[in-house]
Amino acid sequence: MKLNVIGLLFGAMFGGVLAASNLHEYDTIHAMLRLDEIDVFLFMASAIAVSAPLLWLLEKRGMNTPFGGELSLSRSMPEPHHIKGGALFGIGWAIAGTCPAPALVMVSSGALLGLIAIPGIFLGLHLRERQQMNTLHVGDGEHRDFVKVKTDSV
Amino acid sequence: MFDLLPDRLPWFVGGPVLGLLIVGLFVLANQPLGASGAYVQTSGLLRKRDGIVIWRVWYFVGLFVGGLLVTQVFRTGAEVRSGYDALREVFPLGVVIPMVFFGATLLGYGAAVAGGCTSGHGMCGTAQRSPASVAVTATFMTTAILTTLALRVVTGGSL
Repeated sequence: MKLNVIGLLFGAMFGGVLAASNLHEYDTIHAMLRLDEIDVFLFMASAIAVSAPLLWLLEKRGMNTPFGGELSLSRSMPEPHHIKGGALFGIGWAIAGTCPAPALVMVSSGALLGLIAIPGIFLGLHLRERQQMNTLHVGDGEHRDFVKVKTDSV
Repeated sequence: MFDLLPDRLPWFVGGPVLGLLIVGLFVLANQPLGASGAYVQTSGLLRKRDGIVIWRVWYFVGLFVGGLLVTQVFRTGAEVRSGYDALREVFPLGVVIPMVFFGATLLGYGAAVAGGCTSGHGMCGTAQRSPASVAVTATFMTTAILTTLALRVVTGGSL
């Protein structure tokens, strides 16, 4: 239950930051990929620059998270599917000018073409799922076992 | 409704705030602040699958709500429009709609194959110092920039 509230809040804060930074606008992503402006690159780099050292410190100290057990960062080595998937993702990203999180904000900002992008993303994920039935492991960067989340505190 | 936020938050505010959100979700729940996983769980719920991670569905809803709050409440309120201004200046709507749908399908498929998207691999995975995430990020940045360049060439420089 508490995890659901955390999910809603973090989703909302993430969506809020994307909206406040205009990352839901095709024009912002397009200008970035045209290399006309570097703001989005700096946005991503500064997010990593803030989070990477903090995560490193917390991992070293071996912290226990209230809702997900011991903090465990995951690292894996690149495999062919990472390169293939990344390449296709990049082409789609450039054509659609959006990606999964900003597409939702696109719709809530009133941009109706977001309603075309979202079903497309669902379809793309689904097509892959039909090829491979490990759906619960697909999705958030590092493959992590969702089941490991403590269910008794949920 | 109100006009509390600037037209565009500068990167040196938005980026670090997002960095803290990434850390916050790891600290509270040991989970990455990704987005494609939320789509997977949401579509699983809609198709009544078993084993759905329900908090990821709330997170999916949250992304929408957060965008709504910022664009409609904290700012003066964005009007209903098509979006994709730069693309619509070059192509008619009859081309833009299938183009957006095709691009979105391709990125969804690619995210599923790679196991994550801009947030999951690009930011959270890289912040975890995962070589796989760095490889995915370098790859999608490269193909996205090349695709944009190709579109620019094909349209004679107008896109």
